[in-house]
Amino acid sequence: MTISGTPAVRITELGKTYPGATNPALSGVSLTVGTGEIVVLLGLSGSGKSTLLRHLNGLETPTSGSVESLGTDVSTVTGRGLRELRGRIGFIFQQFELVGPLTVLENVLTGSLATLRGPRVGLWAYPRALREKALGHLDRVGLLERAYQRADKLSGGQQQRVAIARALMQDPELLLADEPVASLDPESSSQVMGLIREIAAERDLTVVCSLHQVDLALGWGDRIIGLRSGEVVLDTPTEGLTKDQVMEIYGRVAVSTTELTAIETELAEVRDQLLSEEMRKAARERNEQDFADEGPA
Amino acid sequence: MTALAERIALIRRPRPRPATIVSYLVFATLVVAGIWSIMELSPTSVSDWDKTWENLNRYLTSATPMVWPGFTSDKDALGNVVITFEGWDAVGTFVGHVFITLAITIAATAFAAILSIPVAYGAARNTTPNQVVYAICRAIGVVARAVPDVAIIAFLAYLWFTGGTLVAIIAVGLHSVGMISKMYADAIEQTDEGPRTAVTAVGASKAQQFWSGIVPQALPAWIAVALHRADINLRASVILGVVGVPGLGYDLWQALHTTAGMRRSIPLVLIIIALCILFEIVSSVIRARLLGVAPTGRGIGDTVVRGAMHASAKAADALARATDAVAERNARIEAAMHRPWTRERRQTTTWIWVGVAIVAAAFVYAAVGATGDWCRVIGFQCLAFDPTGDVGTTWAFQWIGWRFDLIHNPALGFSVWPPNFGSRDWADVLGAVLVTVQVAFAATLIAAVVSFVVGPLSARNVAPNSGVRSVFRGIALILRAIPDLVIAIIFIIATGLGAQAGMWALAIGGVGLMAKLIGDSMEEVPNGPEQAISTVGGTRLQRFFSSTVPLSVPSLVSHTMYMLEQNIRSATLLGVVGGGGIGFLLINQIDARHFDQVIAFLLVIIALVVVVETVSVLVRRAVR
Repeated sequence: MTISGTPAVRITELGKTYPGATNPALSGVSLTVGTGEIVVLLGLSGSGKSTLLRHLNGLETPTSGSVESLGTDVSTVTGRGLRELRGRIGFIFQQFELVGPLTVLENVLTGSLATLRGPRVGLWAYPRALREKALGHLDRVGLLERAYQRADKLSGGQQQRVAIARALMQDPELLLADEPVASLDPESSSQVMGLIREIAAERDLTVVCSLHQVDLALGWGDRIIGLRSGEVVLDTPTEGLTKDQVMEIYGRVAVSTTELTAIETELAEVRDQLLSEEMRKAARERNEQDFADEGPA
Repeated sequence: MTALAERIALIRRPRPRPATIVSYLVFATLVVAGIWSIMELSPTSVSDWDKTWENLNRYLTSATPMVWPGFTSDKDALGNVVITFEGWDAVGTFVGHVFITLAITIAATAFAAILSIPVAYGAARNTTPNQVVYAICRAIGVVARAVPDVAIIAFLAYLWFTGGTLVAIIAVGLHSVGMISKMYADAIEQTDEGPRTAVTAVGASKAQQFWSGIVPQALPAWIAVALHRADINLRASVILGVVGVPGLGYDLWQALHTTAGMRRSIPLVLIIIALCILFEIVSSVIRARLLGVAPTGRGIGDTVVRGAMHASAKAADALARATDAVAERNARIEAAMHRPWTRERRQTTTWIWVGVAIVAAAFVYAAVGATGDWCRVIGFQCLAFDPTGDVGTTWAFQWIGWRFDLIHNPALGFSVWPPNFGSRDWADVLGAVLVTVQVAFAATLIAAVVSFVVGPLSARNVAPNSGVRSVFRGIALILRAIPDLVIAIIFIIATGLGAQAGMWALAIGGVGLMAKLIGDSMEEVPNGPEQAISTVGGTRLQRFFSSTVPLSVPSLVSHTMYMLEQNIRSATLLGVVGGGGIGFLLINQIDARHFDQVIAFLLVIIALVVVVETVSVLVRRAVR
């Protein structure tokens, strides 16, 4: 970990209020992330983590204050300049956001669109060198043999790994991850978080990752930034922190035990949702099978 | 006890929901307007009925014995009809007509499918650059839906160089853009925003976002829409014969206008129906192959393919994928550079290329081959000249282009601008519009009444047993396969009835579609309440009226409005083949080349369609 030169991210007095909303999503956020730092944004849902991350690559425009990513003020660039900047910043989504009907390989190749001119349809529309590179990244995330399958046929953990390969395709200098494992089971979660950490080390990447699990954040990041109701309430290195200390800090982040309970409930809900989703899917498949067995209308 | 009665009297009754009021209004309007329309359109005296019967008899006498393509009829010395085989050349000519009809249909649909992409891009809320473009693209769709293709053909043929197939492709294509672009845009709006945001986040441009993030998601729906429209265009191609486009429609139209030709009419109708059914089956197979899923459509083709896929599903084999764990990383990547030719990929690729070849062949055949004058197709005229006299003939092209001088030419006695009603006044035109609307209302009411019986009986949860269900499903399926325009033409010519014949033709076709829609939406009703009524001891009929019907009212209203909307457009077309109404005024002025009046009537038709579509959208939004 080396911190030197211009910071990867510099946020000054950032404020954001969505049109029609009464409370600001972010207010007075100022922070700096040095090159090569691995930072975790910790907070409950609705605390402004996603909004903050989406400002860093220009998916949102600030209401007040300024955001500087990789030395460029994001709000001053538009069009080609903005696309070039985005090309240098990888972004991992909670819901993976792969283009389902396309093959895994083509999804990875879309990561190179910023370097190409004009729309691309089909694998052969991408240069051979890029295809080779994309396969290399797929191999790195361990999904080479899935290259020609439809992306939506993969499991959640696999889809997130494809999304990581897509981000690698950009040769990013900064990697943003918005709750990358919130939709995954524990096993896939640790796999994906480990992969991001490994890749960051391999490429000396700066990473800003939002999470809501304390234990995950503790073992993973070099620095924790706590957000509550759109404000920074905590900013500390994790080195030497024990879990109890962090829980104490998280208590400060969450302020009250009610909010701590809320976290637990939320987690349980997400798990339930995943479970019932699985059950619904199975039921639907069963129904379809029944219908097919009954024969055509 | 009195306390309870008092309390009951005190219960405040909530005001009925807007959705309920709108539903009742729709059904009341349909019944009142429908009955009035039927009465207005029906023959009033017994002698009228006699005349109809007489006409029908006369038609059947002159249409039999039937003369199939390739045969010819003559009268011998005794006045008996003798049918003789004309030889294989005549059969060949007829097959050529079948091909040209198919070629125009396929080429026009492909043309429209491509043209619709930019229109849909502007007409979808999540891709449109701004509100102005959005309004323009939606307006293009409405106008294209409202203007019948026959009008475009006549107009192009008048201002351009020639009639014939190329003009037909362009006209049918432009008209189809109306429906295809709307459904394309709906498909774009239904795509998931997430993948597109992800593509945006890597720094992709607008065009790249569209082609990489949105199109792959919308493509299956697009393919289904285009194939569905090809079915519709084949059915509607019959009407192109009215304005002289070669093909089966022209054959039928000619046959019905000569005494000797009458004998050819019934075989032609049967062949057209068979062709429509065959085409639907083929397009359904293509759809299933390209999308790799069992079709869920409502046509006869989908039903056949579903059955076939079910049979072959068990034969499908899983593909084993061998991976060499010890292979060198670079070698693995090198090997992966070549996408394996799996059975699935071979099939998909084959079907894509077959499709492309068919479309290309259709273009070449329809636009060039059939006219035999290939250089005329792009607006040039071929001139043969021989500059030296000994090197042989050289071809040169001369641009003949557009005849803009015809837009306003008082000397010739006709012009394009300004639009006017000619010798007719607003009362005449509105009277004609009224007839069109009456035909639509009457046909919708008849179709609705019959469908409210046939539809439920074809629903799994309503029909007493699977036998009854299959019978009524079958009835709806067969009625859907028959192109209503063909029936209308035969009815109108055979009975001499005009608007009333049109009404019956639309009603018959309408039952097929509406019964299917009703049956499907009743099957989709949640079955919990039905079970509850069964457990309290309700009979099948009680269950139907207390649970199934109330729960499916919103979709019934929506289907009725859809039917009405569809029937207004079809009723306009029926006028073109002699069914009266605004379409009749239109075709008269097309025949007379009075395009100033044609445009005036088209504006009236556009206004009518806009009103009906707006009402339909508002009603559907209200009952949802």
